[in-house]
Amino acid sequence: MLEKTLQLSLNGLMAGAVLAVPAIGLTMIYAVLRFVNFSVAAHMAVGAYAGYMLNAWLKFSAWLAVVGAFVAAGAAGIASDHVALRPLRGYSALTIAIASIALNLMIESTIRFFFGGSPRDYAIPLRRDWTFGFLHVGPQQVENAAIALIAMALLFVFMMLTITGKAMRAVADNPMLADSKGIDPDRMARLAVGIGMGLAGIGGMLVGLDTSIDPLVGFRAILSVFAAAVVGGLGSVPGAVIGGLAIGLSEELSLLALPATYKSAIGFLAILVVLTFRPRGLLGAKTA
Amino acid sequence: MSRLITRRGALLTGAATIAAPFVITSPGFGQTGPIKIAGLVSLTGSGSPFGPNSRVAHQAVVDQVNAAGGLLGRKIEYLAEDDQTNAEAGVRATRKLIDVDKVSAIMSVWASAVGSAVVPLCWENKVMLLGISAADSIALLPHQGYFVRTQPHTELQGKEFARFALAQGAKNLYLIMPQTPFTETVFKAIRDTVEPKGVKVQSTIIDGKKTSFRSEIDEMVRATPDLFMMGGYQAENIVMAKDLFRANFKGKVMGFAYGMTAAFIDGAGKDAAEGMYAVAEPSPAGGSSAYAALKALVKRDTLDTYICQAYDHANLVILSMAKGKDASGTGVRDNIRKIANNDSAMKVDNALDGLKALADGKEIKYAGASGPCKFSDIGNIIEVAFRTTQIKDGKLVEVKI
Repeated sequence: MLEKTLQLSLNGLMAGAVLAVPAIGLTMIYAVLRFVNFSVAAHMAVGAYAGYMLNAWLKFSAWLAVVGAFVAAGAAGIASDHVALRPLRGYSALTIAIASIALNLMIESTIRFFFGGSPRDYAIPLRRDWTFGFLHVGPQQVENAAIALIAMALLFVFMMLTITGKAMRAVADNPMLADSKGIDPDRMARLAVGIGMGLAGIGGMLVGLDTSIDPLVGFRAILSVFAAAVVGGLGSVPGAVIGGLAIGLSEELSLLALPATYKSAIGFLAILVVLTFRPRGLLGAKTA
Repeated sequence: MSRLITRRGALLTGAATIAAPFVITSPGFGQTGPIKIAGLVSLTGSGSPFGPNSRVAHQAVVDQVNAAGGLLGRKIEYLAEDDQTNAEAGVRATRKLIDVDKVSAIMSVWASAVGSAVVPLCWENKVMLLGISAADSIALLPHQGYFVRTQPHTELQGKEFARFALAQGAKNLYLIMPQTPFTETVFKAIRDTVEPKGVKVQSTIIDGKKTSFRSEIDEMVRATPDLFMMGGYQAENIVMAKDLFRANFKGKVMGFAYGMTAAFIDGAGKDAAEGMYAVAEPSPAGGSSAYAALKALVKRDTLDTYICQAYDHANLVILSMAKGKDASGTGVRDNIRKIANNDSAMKVDNALDGLKALADGKEIKYAGASGPCKFSDIGNIIEVAFRTTQIKDGKLVEVKI
């Protein structure tokens, strides 16, 4: 039992680290724009396919392709937000969130139109797991977790140490005060969407590196991503990291007690439990 | 008051007089338009490797018949809708085909979840549904004869998996399948067959919507089975096959043929897929003249069972309509067994030959590219041949078991 629990925990931490990256993207956009942008799922797919083209077609290394995934998904995010969601600013958060679901479907359908629905694989070798006693872990899992940690560390440095990052945090904390200090909220919004969707793109590619990609690669993960962001506290970047790890762990550890077919329910359950006892999430800020 | 009644009466009489010719001849208007039949095919989602082929086969048969003068003096119009391998999208597409396009028959619905969802719409609207969907439960619904399928139902498929397991000498069998309308049926059929022979069986139903099944595969590997049934669709199987390779699993692996396609081998990689068996695939009638005719018609060297079944669906619908001289869904329902189950009649393997024979007043028996095409009272296919293929050096090769 101990062996099984530790292995499940290891799997959960690896999955959670990957999950945390798009969850940070979702929560960043929420922090600045105050709505849940469900098109994160489609932007995960955009990043996954951009990385696929760079890696499988142009023979870039997976690490370089991840950078391409970030740039492509970020650019697509800014463009799609400008065209589809920005005109709706001023409407309720629910209205814009529903519009983001429509946007998500359109982007996924566009990807399917150009690439078809069949799964595709990156040009990376399939390697056997490393074994440490009774535990084993895949080299790709470790690389994915490392890429996720590097992305999070770079984001931390950007948010904490640069003037633009501080400005973005100021807009997230108090948009009116930030505006009065001369910070352009539109520019910060574009930046938040670009970085957030870029992170979603990285998340999509990391999921694909370990499995395969198709236009629904993000759709399959979005419930867990959303749960991670909500559990951590919508709007809190550190919360999204903790939420991602918590959801990853709880989904895997649920196999100790529940049949595997109920794995998707764990995300809902986690949202329910956390919001019941702590409505703003684990690290979410109090709202007025 | 009497003047009012007189005026109203006069208006009604006038209106009736003007409308009468249209009312009396309205059936004639329907008879002069094209006969509409449709494919509800999976162009996207798990069934996307097969749906486009079904559409090609349907269209080829319809074009052939139209080029030869049509059916019952009318042109056939073929429509295709994408069910996205998704029940909700399938229902929307079916509603459109029935309510807007007014089709008489819908062909080649692939996924059981979609077939289960749309069959009530078909029988309520007297539209014939010819399916590939294999879940046993579909044929048990009160479909009033408006459903037949050419794919063997899942209990038969489960028994075929069990037969394969016994032939491989399996002693410890582990089954993994995603949640589907037929998962329990397949598991039960396997257990009922192999457990009395002393084979240990363990099973897990997975959530197919997740991105990783690593922990489920870990659990399976810990059970050290000598034969593992990887019962997912293509996307799930790719993920599981990679994890099996990473975990250095040494047992044999079997799965449904629809989940072990050439695209599966590409996606999982040759190394991960090598040696796996694709079991319980209905064998197309490879030596038949219908199979040869379909190969020529669609200009392909090899055909999978699904394109063969789609070809048979189109031929069966057209010949049933011709047999009953009735282009409605009820016409297909009432006549399909007359041209499919009549073993003593003249054998035909395509719509054109069948139409000629029927015009000459002969009885026909359609035998298709997918097999004999005979149906039970509840719509299940009778007389099925299965084949097993194995992945060798990155290719699917038929093997004798």
